[in-house]
Parts: sequence; C-alpha cells; structure tokens
Amino acid sequence: MLEMKPEGLSSARPRPRSPNIQNYRPQLTSVLSIANRITALVSTVAMVVFVAWLIAAELSPRSYDAMYAAAMSPIGRALLVIATFAFFLHLCGSMRHLVWDSVRGFELGAIYISGWVAIVASVVLTAAAWVTGLLLKG
Amino acid sequence: MIIRSSSQVSRWKVLRRFPVPRRLGVPGESRIERGRFWPAPPGAKRVKRFEIYRYDPDSGRNPRLDTFEVDLDDSGPMVLDALIWIKSKADSTLTFRRSCREGVCGSCAMTLDGTNWLACTRFISETESPASIYPLANFPVIKDLVPDQSHALAQYALIEPWLKPDGPPPQHERLQSVAERKRLDGYYECILCCCCTSGCPSHWWNGSRSLGPAVLLQAWRWLTDSRDAAKGERLDALEDPFRLYRCHTILNCTRTCPKGLNPGKAIAEIKKLLLERTL
Repeated sequence: MLEMKPEGLSSARPRPRSPNIQNYRPQLTSVLSIANRITALVSTVAMVVFVAWLIAAELSPRSYDAMYAAAMSPIGRALLVIATFAFFLHLCGSMRHLVWDSVRGFELGAIYISGWVAIVASVVLTAAAWVTGLLLKG
Repeated sequence: MIIRSSSQVSRWKVLRRFPVPRRLGVPGESRIERGRFWPAPPGAKRVKRFEIYRYDPDSGRNPRLDTFEVDLDDSGPMVLDALIWIKSKADSTLTFRRSCREGVCGSCAMTLDGTNWLACTRFISETESPASIYPLANFPVIKDLVPDQSHALAQYALIEPWLKPDGPPPQHERLQSVAERKRLDGYYECILCCCCTSGCPSHWWNGSRSLGPAVLLQAWRWLTDSRDAAKGERLDALEDPFRLYRCHTILNCTRTCPKGLNPGKAIAEIKKLLLERTL
C-alpha cells in the first residue's frame, strides 16, 4: 500500500511534483541558511587569494606590487569588502548554529532576533574592521 | 520583521520567490502551464482572485494554473471556504482534501502564498491578491491540490511510532509523573499534516533518504517518552548521514508549523542525545 506508484494506477504518466524552490517564499530562516553556505564559499576563495598574496610577497617585489595594485583597484576594494562581510556573516551565522546545537534559542522569536542580530552585527563588524584598518594605515 | 508565532503572515514583499529560473530542475511533466479564467458570477460585489494549481491525471496534460474569482459575500471567511465555494459554484472538479475544518485533522495542508499552512485556519483576508494556492510543495500530485504522501508516511513507519516498553505487560496503566508527561508537550500535538516536511529544503533535495522534520519530531516524541525502553535501538536507526543529519537547522519547519510546534528543536534534541551517547 505504502509503495503505491503511479504505474499501478490508470495513468502511465509520472505524477508531476508540486514546485518547491520555484514557489516557496524566501524567509529569514532559509535565506540565512543559504547565506551561510554562500559566505563559506566566498571565505574559502578569499583564503586562497590571501595565500596568493603571501606567496606574491615572498616571490619578488614586482609580483607583490602587482598583487597590491590589483587589491587596491576599485573592483579589488569592492571584492575585499564583500569578502570581509562574508567572513563576518559566516562567523555570526555559525555562532547561531553553535548555540542551537546546545538546544537553546529555538523559540521562533529567538530564531528571528538572532538572525537579524547576525546580519546587523556582521555589517557593524565589517565597517569596524575597515575603519580600524584604514586608521592604522594612516 | 520579527516573527514570534508561526501563524504570523509576513508583510514583507521584497523577495516573493528565490531568484532561480522557474524551470530549474523541473522535469517536463511538472512544468506548469497557463490555465483558464473562471469569472465571478454576475452581480458579485466583493470579488477576490485565487490562482490555483490544477492537475488532472486523466487528461494526459501538464499541470496548469487556473484563476478563479470568488464572491466573498457568498463565501465563508477561510481559504477552505473559498475552495468549497469554487467547488460548489464554479468548477465541481476542483479536488482537495478536507475534513475537520478546524485545524485538527491536517488534511487541507497546502502551499498558500508560497508558505505551507492549513486552508481551514488561514483567513482569506490574510492572503494576497491574487491568492496563490498550490498543493504541498515538493510532493507528487495525485490530482489538483491532493498530494501523494505515501513516501512521507513510509518514512513515518520507519521510525516505528509506537510504545516499546520493557518487560511483561503490567496489570494497570503505565504511569508517568507530571514532569515526565510534560516532556511530551509540544510534540504529541503533531497532526502529521507534513507542512514542515514540505517546506524543508533539505527534504526537497534529499527527500528519498532524509526523514524530514515531521517524522523526526515524531522520533523525538518516542525518544523522550518515559515509558519507552527502546531508546538505544531508536537512536541506532536515526544515526545516519541522511536520515537525521541532512537537517542543517534551516528552521523553515518551525516557521511554518500550523500547530505552532517546533520540529527544529526536536531534531536538535535528537542530535544532542546522540552526542551525549558517545561521551
């Protein structure tokens, strides 16, 4: 009974599947979940770029200058800001998961508050990191 | 916007759907075509439009999206009332499950405006214009709004949802303290409408092997029952990369539960218990 397949019925056509991601409304829950994955990916790529920067510094002053010029170009700066934000959003998102693993913070209100806090905190941390960095650079 | 109860309808209309192509990963037989328009009866004053997923297995054709105009002065206040109005006043072939009309049986679970809820406990006034009504997301469709839940029910059977006590049957009831009974609160109320499982992205992508929130909440309901003596056996059956650990705590389940329960928390309890077992 439980294994009833459409072949067993009058119609030989496979049953259609009701749409999932094509129709399901994005919610803070699912958006932050996919964001945690995307930011993990961005952070991983950024880590590779960071290692490339270290290698360039080791190789020769010319290669370092080229790397520095690329990083300081408008696109380079934008990518660095995005990478910083991705790092902080992933950090804050993962802390939510750490708390959840101890079976805390599962009330719907807590889920939403911690989600918005993670978003606001990562914006603030990104700004703070850049302001600090630029001030230290002088 | 802070959501404090799953019954809250979000007023945010920024992102109605994920920015993915409509046909992304959709097999040919599931593609939705444009359907027909069913105008309101002449003289209707307060008219509301409903876009409803239709599929007729006998037609040999793809699913389609019909638009119905409902005379609100002639219909009851809930979405289920509108469906019944359409069935009796416009198209008698419209097919949907319903029984209790008060959120107890779980039959009329469907995707309303892109989120899962019971048609009988959602006010028409809370829906968008036009309101969109689809069968439960990601389920195979038998006809119109009737999903085929046999796979989800087979997964429910897999967790053996019955009491497995120790020793011979006692002469009286198996007693519980008030505190022990309280541990079932928030879990025993599940009506197995599958709104949560249908809204779970992990179950969308790995539904054949991942058990989904409804079944895992039930698994916890038996794990936390003081009268049950099969805890080890139950945990063994759940300790699996797909059955349990495909849950990545997305929490769409807790957001959508029409009974206000917390499948996400139940799953976290199971994961914690499994961790504690290894210590």
